[in-house]
Parts: sequence; C-alpha cells; structure tokens
Amino acid sequence: MSIAIETRGLTKRFGGLVALDSVNLQAAAGETLGIIGVNGAGKTTLMNCICGLYRPDGGDVFISGERVTGQPPHVVAHKGIGRTFQVPRVFRKMSLIDNLLVPVLDHHASDAELTERAEGMLARMQLIDLRHNYAEELSGGQQKLLEMARMLMPDPPIVMLDEPFAGVHPVLCKFMIERIEEMSGAGKAVLLISHDLTSIYRLSTRVVALNQGKIIAEGGVGDIRDNPAVIEAYLGT
Amino acid sequence: MTASSRAQDSADRIYFTLVALIGGALMIYFASVPVLGLNVAFHFYLMLWITMASAFNVSSGFSGYLPFGYVAFYGIGAFTTAILVKKAAFPVFLALPFSGVAGLVLALLFAPTLRLSGIYFGIVSLALAGICRLVITNMPEEITGGSFGLQLGSRAHPVQSFYVMMAVMVVALGTILWLSRSRLGKALRATRDDADAAEMMGVNVPRVRLYGWMLAAFFPAVCGGVEAWYTNVVDTETAFNTLITAKTVIYAVAGGLGTVTGPILGAVAMVWLDELIWRQFPLLNLLILGVATVALVLFLPRGIVGSILRRKPQWRRFVP
Amino acid sequence: MELLILNGIVNGLIVGGVYALVGVSLTLLYGVLRVVNFAHGEFVIAGSFFAYVLFTSLNVPPLLALPVAAVAFFAAGWGLYYVLIPRLSRSDDPELMSFLMFYGVSITAAALMLLLFEADSRSIDYSFTPISVQVGPIYVSTARLVALTITVAISAALALFLFRTLPGKALRAAIMNPEAIQIVGVDIVRLSAFAFALATALAGVTGVLVALVFPAFNAFSGTEYTIIAFIVVVLGGLGNPVGALLAGVIFGLAEQMATVFLPQAMAQIVGFAILVGTIFLRPSGLLGTSARK
Repeated sequence: MSIAIETRGLTKRFGGLVALDSVNLQAAAGETLGIIGVNGAGKTTLMNCICGLYRPDGGDVFISGERVTGQPPHVVAHKGIGRTFQVPRVFRKMSLIDNLLVPVLDHHASDAELTERAEGMLARMQLIDLRHNYAEELSGGQQKLLEMARMLMPDPPIVMLDEPFAGVHPVLCKFMIERIEEMSGAGKAVLLISHDLTSIYRLSTRVVALNQGKIIAEGGVGDIRDNPAVIEAYLGT
Repeated sequence: MTASSRAQDSADRIYFTLVALIGGALMIYFASVPVLGLNVAFHFYLMLWITMASAFNVSSGFSGYLPFGYVAFYGIGAFTTAILVKKAAFPVFLALPFSGVAGLVLALLFAPTLRLSGIYFGIVSLALAGICRLVITNMPEEITGGSFGLQLGSRAHPVQSFYVMMAVMVVALGTILWLSRSRLGKALRATRDDADAAEMMGVNVPRVRLYGWMLAAFFPAVCGGVEAWYTNVVDTETAFNTLITAKTVIYAVAGGLGTVTGPILGAVAMVWLDELIWRQFPLLNLLILGVATVALVLFLPRGIVGSILRRKPQWRRFVP
Repeated sequence: MELLILNGIVNGLIVGGVYALVGVSLTLLYGVLRVVNFAHGEFVIAGSFFAYVLFTSLNVPPLLALPVAAVAFFAAGWGLYYVLIPRLSRSDDPELMSFLMFYGVSITAAALMLLLFEADSRSIDYSFTPISVQVGPIYVSTARLVALTITVAISAALALFLFRTLPGKALRAAIMNPEAIQIVGVDIVRLSAFAFALATALAGVTGVLVALVFPAFNAFSGTEYTIIAFIVVVLGGLGNPVGALLAGVIFGLAEQMATVFLPQAMAQIVGFAILVGTIFLRPSGLLGTSARK
C-alpha cells in the first residue's frame, strides 16, 4: 500500500499561538485516518495547511511522494486532493450542477459528459431534483451533501472531510457514513475530522489524536479509545 | 438520451430563442434608425450605454468587483483614438482596435488591485482613475492637447460611427453571452461567491480574475474611441468624467447585475427616462439621477431582471 | 526657503486638523455601521454652504454657525439614518448596496447644492481683527489659527467623549464587536442612529471650518473631500478614530510640504499616490485591521 499523503514536522503559528507543532502523519490508499481532538486542537488548521490555504511555518506536505509545501491551493488541488468544510462553503449563487462543475472546469471532457457525470453524482446524493436551484436555497445538511458531491467530481485519490456530521440529523448521518465507506472502498485515502466519536471509530482504520497542535496519540481504534492521554485531553482531570 | 438531457435541450431551445428574439430585435431596430430618420444621437448613446453597462456587469455581476474608477478605461480609449488619428494620421478604423489594446494594457497595470477586498478595491479604483486623469492632463500639450483637448479634424461621420458603435455593441453582447455560458464564466462566478473555496477546488483564481478584468476593460476603451470619433473632440474633463462611471453603474444595477439581459434593460429604461426628464426639466437631470439611484437601492436592489428572477427562480435557466 | 518650509509646516498642521476631523467622522461611521459613506465630502461641503447662507443672509459669524451647524446636522443625520439604513441591513449584500446607495446620495447632494448655489465658487468674507498674526518669523491668517484652535478643541472633546463617557464607550465597543454589544443589551439601532447623526454633525461642523481655512468651495468640491476622507481613514486604519486624527495631520503635512517642493501638478497626485501606496504596502494603516479579498 502506497502512502498517498504525508506530513512531516508540519508547523503553523498565528502570532504567538502555535496551532500546529511538528505534526507527522500519513495515510495510505484505501485507509481512513480519523483525526480527533477538542476545539482549537489544530485539526482544521492541519487541513488548511495540507491543501495550501495556509503556508506552513515549518515542515512539509507530500502528496503521492511529491512535495507540495507552499504551493497555491489550485495547484495542490490538481495533485489529486479534495475536501469539504466544517461550515459549508458552497457557491451560493450558482446552481447545484454548476457547483459540481467547478472542480472539473479544466478537464478535457465535453460539457455534455461532465454535466452527465454531475447529474449522476447528484442522483447518488439524492439532490437531483434540486439540480437547477441555487446552492443557497439548500438546507445545511443538503449543502454538506453537495460539498461531498463536489469534492468527488474530479475523482481525487485523497479526500479530506472536516466535520461532515456536525449539525446533521441521524438519518442523513447514516447516509453520509455509507458514502464515506464507498470512498475508502474505492481505494481513496480518507482523512476524517469529527467530534462524533462513534462514527470515527466505525469508519477509521487508524486514528490520530491532536491536542494543542501536537499529536498525543495514534494507532488503531482500540488503542485510541482507551488511551489515557486522549481521555484526559477530552475530559480534563 | 436521458430524460434530463432532453429537458436541458428544451431549456436551451427557449434560451436561444430568447437570445435570437432579443438580439434580432435590437439589431433590426438599431440598423434602421438612420434609415427611418429617427434621432441618431439618442440611439448612438443608447447603444453606448448598453455596451458600457454590459461590460461593467462582467466585472461587477460576474466577478464581484465595484470598480468606481471604471471611466479610466473609457478615457484612455478616447485619448488613444484621438491621438492616433490627429497626431499619427491613423485612419479611425485602425485606431479603434488600438484603443481596445490600450484598455487591456491599463487593465494589466491595474491588475494588482484585484487582490483587494470590496471597499479597498472601490476606493483604489477611484484613486487610480484620478491619477490617470491628472497624468494625461499634465502631459505635454503637443501630445494630449493640454486643457483644451484634441480635435480629430473633420473626420466625423455620424452615420458611419453609428454603425461602428452598433457593431461594437453586438460584439460586446455576443462576447458576454458566450462568457455567461462558458467555463471561464463559471470559474468567475465561483470566485465571486467564494474565492478561497474556488481555489481549493482547483480554480486558478488570480488568472481567472485577470481574464474577467481584461474583458471588462476592453469594451469601454473601444466605446471611448468610437465616441471620440462621433463627437470629434476629446478632453480630460469629459473623457474622464466621473458621471460616466456613475451612469454605467446605475444603469447596470437598474437592470440587474449577473444576467446578460439585465444591463440591456437597465440601460434602455434609464436612458429613455433620462431623455424624457431632460426634455422637460433640464436642470433637474443630475438630481433625478441621484434620487433614482437611492430609490433603486432601497426598493429594487436586484434590478428589474434580478427582481423578476427572484420571484420566479425556475425561469433562471431560460433567461439569458 | 526656510520660511517656505515653516509656512508649509504651519499650514500643514492647520489643514491636517481639518482633514483629521473629516477622517474621524468617516471612520466612526464605518466602524459602527460598516457603511462606506461616499457622500461624506458632500456632507462636509453642505456644512460650508450652511455657514455661507447663515453669514450672507443672517449675518451670523462663522464661529456662531458652528454650534448651529452641529445641531442641525445632527438632526438631519438622525432622520437620514432612519430613512436610509434599516432597509439596507435586510438586503442580500449590505456592503455593496450601501456603497451604491451613498453613491446616489452623493450625486443627489451635489445636484441639490448645484441647484441652490449654481456652479460658482463661494467663500465667506469674514475677517477677524487682526487679519493675520505673527507666529515666529511667519504670518498666519487669524481665521486659520482660530480654525486650528477649534479643531483641537473638538478633537479633545471627541476623545473625551469616546473614552470617558458611557455612550462614547458604547460606540467604541460597537466598533470592536457589533454582535457582542447587542448580546449585552445595547439597542444597536439607536446606537447606530446616534453614530450616524454624530458623524453627520461632525461633517457639518468640519464644513464650517473648511470655509474658514480654505479660500473657496463649490458644489463639486465634495468629491475632493470624500477622497481626502478615504485617504485619511485608510492611512489611519478603518474604524480607528485615533488613527484618523493622526493620519489626518500627517496627510495634511505631506500635502502642504509637497506643494513646497513639487510642481503643482505633481502635488495633486501625492494624495492619490499615498492612498494607493498605503493600501498595497500597509493595508491595516498605521493602527488598524486587514484588507485582503
């Protein structure tokens, strides 16, 4: 199994605050890496550094063995990585179909092919009837599904999901879990941030726990669940 | 063929029928103005404003900027044509494309401002237009005519320049129609809605913004050139008049930013209104423009077309 | 040459004081309401015309016109707020819409002044005795010195208000965090109306001072002052009243010194150049917050 994505010594500071402190992690194709930690632990910052939104102050990011540290986000995206956001960032005044077409605008396929693929994606997410609506007309949960579909359009080998279940009702959660299982089943490397420990433990092959920018534990689901450092970080003493 | 691609085909049919109807009506109407003896001047300026408002829409409605110094492109186009015709003995037809190029060059020069957020961009745009005006006013009189401006000589041909303006308008509208359906158009709108997210989805945001900006700069520059030819005179007061930006912005907003038909409708409605008011109350012209703007923002912020589409969102796919 | 420079410095301070006040009122407005008032220059010039009318028809000296203008413009600002602003905050894109709306207000205001006063330049022929005062080796017009004193007094009063009184502190708090201040129970609408009225009153008063300091003004001078206001606000940092005061003085000095050393044409560009330069090199201004898209 090849390493799809890797960070070495990744560090990010905001003024005096150290958001990420020398973080080393890796995920291979077909693996789902769960990332847990309390608010402010650095999880979203990690994703932002990986995809190029933030420039790290130290360390490196490797995608399929290639160093992408410091590259602008659109270059990193083309290396084969997609993501969703904690608070949905859909293109509000564009139709659902157009939202899905954005990541594949520079693909050589014809408009008709891409539109067909987008419609297929929307059908899988059960949003097909709303395909001509503006994204801002969707509910929060629907927007999260839209983001997932948008992320999958260019069929990236690496996907990052930032709190996909936050604020989503249980039936939709179950639906999302099935979609995520499909992703790793298809051979993608999945990075998954969530506070929903049940879902994390169900979906992840490995888990990494962050606290105050540092990795305090990593291993299989069983190791993490009973790890005293993790329990302390979540519950305090 | 799937059911939904059949539906898409019929939506496209309606869309393009509307395009043909509106485009055809515009072309036939304007083409016959000189022939039927209608007011050439009025219709010349109507075409000018339709073009200006539509081009402005590319940078505002499609891209999300408010260039309050938009007149800079118009002015540079006017002066380029005037200087080439008067000082370098260019035939007008050769000078006009150079005006367009001048607009593109200025856009490239101003490109660093595209990084700025809403307010800052607007203010800097205004300041840069001011700098342009001052620079040209202070250039040697042999080149730009100092405070008296330049006269193009007796090369004015009202009917010829009328039809050239019409050609410019048709090309502009055609380009903007293409843009609204094209991949560049989608990239622009995604950038407008959320630039960072667009970038993370693979859109080369700086490059896309630059292309949109250059497109939006080309047409007002050519308009400036054609108008210089039509009126036969160019000076910094009129070529860089802030009222040009004001009218462009207001006409575009009145129709509705973000659609192709919006600025056309807005320009037609407002120019017609302007003509009506001006005939009856020549002194109140500026006042009515100001009050109309405030009223528009308060009561019709999405413009005519925008407000209709808000009520009937299902019509969005059919309306160009 | 030294005389010229000294003159430049003194004039720079005087002019800078006026610019500072123009900037403070605009920055207060932006800070509390997040509204960019394109009509600000027109409000200032309206103040100048107000003093002009009071002087020419009622023989009211400009010094007396100051408090009258303050009250009149405060009331006008209060009313204008309730007519214009509430609908704005309910729209899709309040920032864009407020831009456009105040653009419209500026055109309306300029048009009204044009109708009332025509395009000629006006000035107030009020002279103090003595006409000028000797300050060191140079002579300064008394009117300008009086204006400077008043500017300093107003700035001090404003600083006192913002930092020592409860409504003033509420305003500063609203600038720092508009959401939080509502949570603690402040009626943000009334506070915003107050901020708008205060900013308008300041603009009107500044206009009276403009009439004292500058030789003439006309219906179109508004644009000039709007741009100056923006330069000062950007230089000082959006939403920062102290920054605006500082920046106004610095800009006034820069402008006057530029006319000493550079040809007239270049000097005009200095203002624009400072604005563009600041936004690119230090968008947070001397003391403010960030500007990136």
